[in-house]
Amino acid sequence: MSSPTTTSEAVVIWRGVLIGGGVLLLLIGGATFLTDVPAMRYPAIAAWLAGAIVLHDGIGAMLVFAVTVLLRRLEPRIPFVVIAIVQAAAVVAVIVTVIVLPEIVKKAIGTANPTILPLDYLGHLAWFYVAIAGVTAVSVVIALALVRRGGPASRRTR
Amino acid sequence: MHLNWRLQRLLHQFRHALITPSRNPRSAVVLGRLLGAAFLICFATGLYSHLLQDPPAWMSFPTRPLWLYQVTQGAHITAGIACFPLLFAKLYAVFPELFQRPLVRSFGHLVERATIALFVASALVQITIGLLNTYQFYSLFPFSFRHVHYALSFVVFGSLAIHIAVKLPVIARYWRRRDSYDSEGRVVALEPDPDAEFDAPDELRRRTGLRQNAGVTGRIFEWIDRKPAPEPPDRRAAVSRRGFFAATAVATAAVVTLTAGQSFGILDRLNLFAPRKNGTGPQSLPVNRTAKAAGVLESATSADWRLTVIHGDDSRVLSYDELSALPQYDSLLPIACVEGWSQYANWRGPRLRDVVALVGATSESGVRISSLQQHSIYAVTEMQPDFVNDELTLVALRLEGEVLDLDHGYPARIIAPARPGVLQTKWLSKLEVI
Repeated sequence: MSSPTTTSEAVVIWRGVLIGGGVLLLLIGGATFLTDVPAMRYPAIAAWLAGAIVLHDGIGAMLVFAVTVLLRRLEPRIPFVVIAIVQAAAVVAVIVTVIVLPEIVKKAIGTANPTILPLDYLGHLAWFYVAIAGVTAVSVVIALALVRRGGPASRRTR
Repeated sequence: MHLNWRLQRLLHQFRHALITPSRNPRSAVVLGRLLGAAFLICFATGLYSHLLQDPPAWMSFPTRPLWLYQVTQGAHITAGIACFPLLFAKLYAVFPELFQRPLVRSFGHLVERATIALFVASALVQITIGLLNTYQFYSLFPFSFRHVHYALSFVVFGSLAIHIAVKLPVIARYWRRRDSYDSEGRVVALEPDPDAEFDAPDELRRRTGLRQNAGVTGRIFEWIDRKPAPEPPDRRAAVSRRGFFAATAVATAAVVTLTAGQSFGILDRLNLFAPRKNGTGPQSLPVNRTAKAAGVLESATSADWRLTVIHGDDSRVLSYDELSALPQYDSLLPIACVEGWSQYANWRGPRLRDVVALVGATSESGVRISSLQQHSIYAVTEMQPDFVNDELTLVALRLEGEVLDLDHGYPARIIAPARPGVLQTKWLSKLEVI
């Protein structure tokens, strides 16, 4: 087991290679922006980059933080494992929604031809929620049964 | 007003409140490996696609396996979609790092943090515009998707390489599970966590006597701390950590299996959310650009349509009937789009190499291909000799036994193995041997 504080020779070499390669790639990226992208587009690209940080770190992550803290703090008399399952299900639902929502919006706006976004995304998403709710309910029932049947170790998860 | 020390305290309070079993270096390493693999797939396949579309003169490309581009581009899009849950999970696991204190320790630390900020921002933008591009949601981009996506790929990968270099000792330390946890399931820490205790004495308290629970924010954080996240050996800690990984795994599996059917036929039945669906469109094949959008409705259906084949001073003008009179061949080939969707189809027509041989092309010849459409960067493309000479490369006149639909390139289009769909030129007008 390597010590956390010592930096082996291999790590030093790999660091050099990675940093060198990384700087080279950043230079290629920068040069590509300069040659391929008109300067008048830079402010919009910078706004997208800054917007991504604000949306994720400033809003999304903070919202997740607030929800998890509230759930933990206000946790009613619900077994811990049930909360964990419901949280996991919510995470899956949110991530799928993040990917599908723009499709629903774009489809509503209209597409260049009928073979682009041809599916009923809203309907499919609704069915997906139903499926998640079903799987979650079954998982909760199984988990509770296991907790009840288990020993002291299992009871601590309540 | 001790602003600096108030800020330090706030950062400490955030870091303490964010402590949860799934936020540890081992989680970051596990997720980082998966995310790194996904980014590597995206970068390599994206570069391949870019080079195919814009080939340097010295470069040649394989024409087999004929599904090569279908798989590389399908993997590109699918891995890109998988990046959403993986990146969100990774950022969740390392979120307390945002509140590092002091904010900046040294110039090196500033560079490190700036590189990470660049990586996070560029990675989020890269996967978002990639996804939106497959929905053809161009109105959201105040820039050229293709150029920005290409340039950003180097920024993402460059900043990722530097991030990995900085974190290399941590990555090595937590690479293996058995080196990461003690017998009670605690992650073995590199050093004591100064934020582990909420009411840790700090500089602000030394200078002013204010405790951690002073003020509005202090009371809120104290309220949060009254019920801290479970820690090992409490079994709830393991449930929490496993729940986090299970959620990430299920979300990744869901977004992959419910979209990958657009690229890989075997998953077609599970395709609920992909922007394309096999079997839709004229002749049961999706279309990217219609004849109407390309502005070729009249020229492509004109009785005067001819295919001009040129080699230096030699040229031939072929009518549809003359093309049909040449030996006809069948090719079962996929249309594989840069946007990730693919579908196999049966194409029929003369071989491209036979058509250009009419004007004396040799096996060393490439072909410049012109379409009837005018306003497109793909109106004129070039095909390298390996693809021209391939026996499967056709000037396709028929699709699934029928005359090509106008939206699929009537009267004649190119179809070749292992090439991006945008280079399978529709509505042919001219072939020039080069």
